[in-house]
Amino acid sequence: MIRAGNITYLAGKQKILHDVSCFVEKGKVTVLLGSNGAGKSTLLKILAGALSPASGTLAWKGKPYSAISVAAFARERAVLTQHYGVSMPFRCSEIVLMGRYPHFTGNPSKQDLQIVEEAMRELQVDVFADRYFQSLSGGEQQRVQMARVLAQLWPTHENDTEKFMLLDEPVSSMDCLYQQKSLQTARRMAARGFAVLVVLHDLNLAAQYADEVILLRKGRLIASGDCKTVLQASLIREAYDYEVEVVYHDDFHFPLIVPAAHKKQTFLLQTKTA
Amino acid sequence: MQTRWIRISLLLLLLVVMVLAAGIGAMKIPVPEVLRILAYKAGISVHPLPDVAMMNVFWELRLPRVLMAVMIGGGLAIAGASLQGLFRNPLADPMLIGISSGASLAAVLVIVLYSFLPAFLLNWLPRYYLLNVVTFAGACACSLLVFRLSTTGNRTAVASLLLAGLAITALCNAFIGLITYTANDEELRNITFWSLGSLGGASWRITGALAPFIILPVIVLPVLSKSLNAYSLGETEAHYLGVNVRRLKIGILALSTLAVGAAVASAGMIGFVGLVVPHILRSVTGTDHRQLLFNSAVLGAILLTLADTVGRTIIAPAELPIGIVTALIGTPVFITLLLKQRKKLGGLETA
Repeated sequence: MIRAGNITYLAGKQKILHDVSCFVEKGKVTVLLGSNGAGKSTLLKILAGALSPASGTLAWKGKPYSAISVAAFARERAVLTQHYGVSMPFRCSEIVLMGRYPHFTGNPSKQDLQIVEEAMRELQVDVFADRYFQSLSGGEQQRVQMARVLAQLWPTHENDTEKFMLLDEPVSSMDCLYQQKSLQTARRMAARGFAVLVVLHDLNLAAQYADEVILLRKGRLIASGDCKTVLQASLIREAYDYEVEVVYHDDFHFPLIVPAAHKKQTFLLQTKTA
Repeated sequence: MQTRWIRISLLLLLLVVMVLAAGIGAMKIPVPEVLRILAYKAGISVHPLPDVAMMNVFWELRLPRVLMAVMIGGGLAIAGASLQGLFRNPLADPMLIGISSGASLAAVLVIVLYSFLPAFLLNWLPRYYLLNVVTFAGACACSLLVFRLSTTGNRTAVASLLLAGLAITALCNAFIGLITYTANDEELRNITFWSLGSLGGASWRITGALAPFIILPVIVLPVLSKSLNAYSLGETEAHYLGVNVRRLKIGILALSTLAVGAAVASAGMIGFVGLVVPHILRSVTGTDHRQLLFNSAVLGAILLTLADTVGRTIIAPAELPIGIVTALIGTPVFITLLLKQRKKLGGLETA
């Protein structure tokens, strides 16, 4: 559904992205991987429409981004960003209701309020509804923001599923249980027809939840495709300068990625010179 | 709905305060008499006819003054609440973006240079209106300058808005100091009184001239409240929620400038309303701008009407400048709120 062609992005004179082309498909979870500073967040912001690339093409459902209004895009695309500096005291239910803002003028409809409740239940933050956002822990805040993103895209009828959900490190502050639960929610939304793009750092979470993987290194695309073809020891080494062992086990349908340093057999950590 | 009740009770309170304030003064006008005069003026026949002296005092002095207090209080408070939303800082104040200092500089210039002004200009614009018009122009010019300074391309950085505002304020204050230095005793007195604020000049003409500049922001700013809520998550996040951030910033700045500029132009400097009123409401109803903006306007109107009533009666027949009253009442309230809030948060740090 999202097609990005030959994206180049400059910050001042520095090239952050070189000629990156990628797709995010409907009904799939696409995970964006890469080391710190590889350009993941920049690519996400470009795909979300917040940054304009220096050159390249961007299209959502075949329509170039430049032809989509800010308000219309907000009804079909939602973004979870890394940092929320909510500086004024807002109650969590108000924050989640903001996800419905693109859908109503004046006062929220009954349906909007119902969606807010359902989205909060989905992320199990309904108990925080009347709490102030600032009083929550980092992981709880992330779940409330995720509920807001869900509320923004919540399908209002059977075929209302042509949506684009972008999550920038959505689970970075969550405990292991909610990491799984939140990504399961993302999966379920993909199963309903959403295009889902997730930036992750944890390779095992990526292996578990990705249909497709986009791998970046220093602003260049080094691999993209389905999970098992991209998550190979050689590509991971190239992307992160880090030795891993990719282990398959019959009981799991996804690979397990283990740091090679923990192998009993000794070896030399390979570092590549740039 | 709790929120609706808060709004309705604030509006009722405003009505009560207005009727009471219109009755209090050197000539006491009892509440039934106030209602009878209003009915008579509205064309309803009343028996017996209202007392003529009371009617004149009410209609020519009290009512315009009360309406002016309502509008100025409402305008300052809603502008304060909106700017705090825009700066994402509960301490923001019209002073920060240079509106007040621009207005002050313009006012001081008029007061001191009055005798050098060409006669034809003075025939065309009597002194009082000249001060109003020039002050308003000064407020708008300064706010525009600050806005231009902080805009590159078509992006306005809120942080540079703040810095530009502070710089322009410092510059204006330097000029004010320079002019004050050359002023004679009478001019100094005028400058001082202007900077303390007063609604003493209230008349139907001033009230009428003020009305559009206050009514427009009070109607339009609440329309932006959803966008302001989204904006509190961050600029990019507001964009993701469908907010045209550039239009939001320009809208808030322009409408706040209109309200504050007109208020300062007609009554001089009145501090604290724009800061304290939204703060009180936020501690009761939270930050949701969909309630906060309109409620701020109403509570601001109530408080300024009360403050003006106190100011003009407490040392009657003299008048205490309203800026002194708002600061005298506002500061202890503000400090109490801060202390209470600190206790409530129990050491938890929130910005």
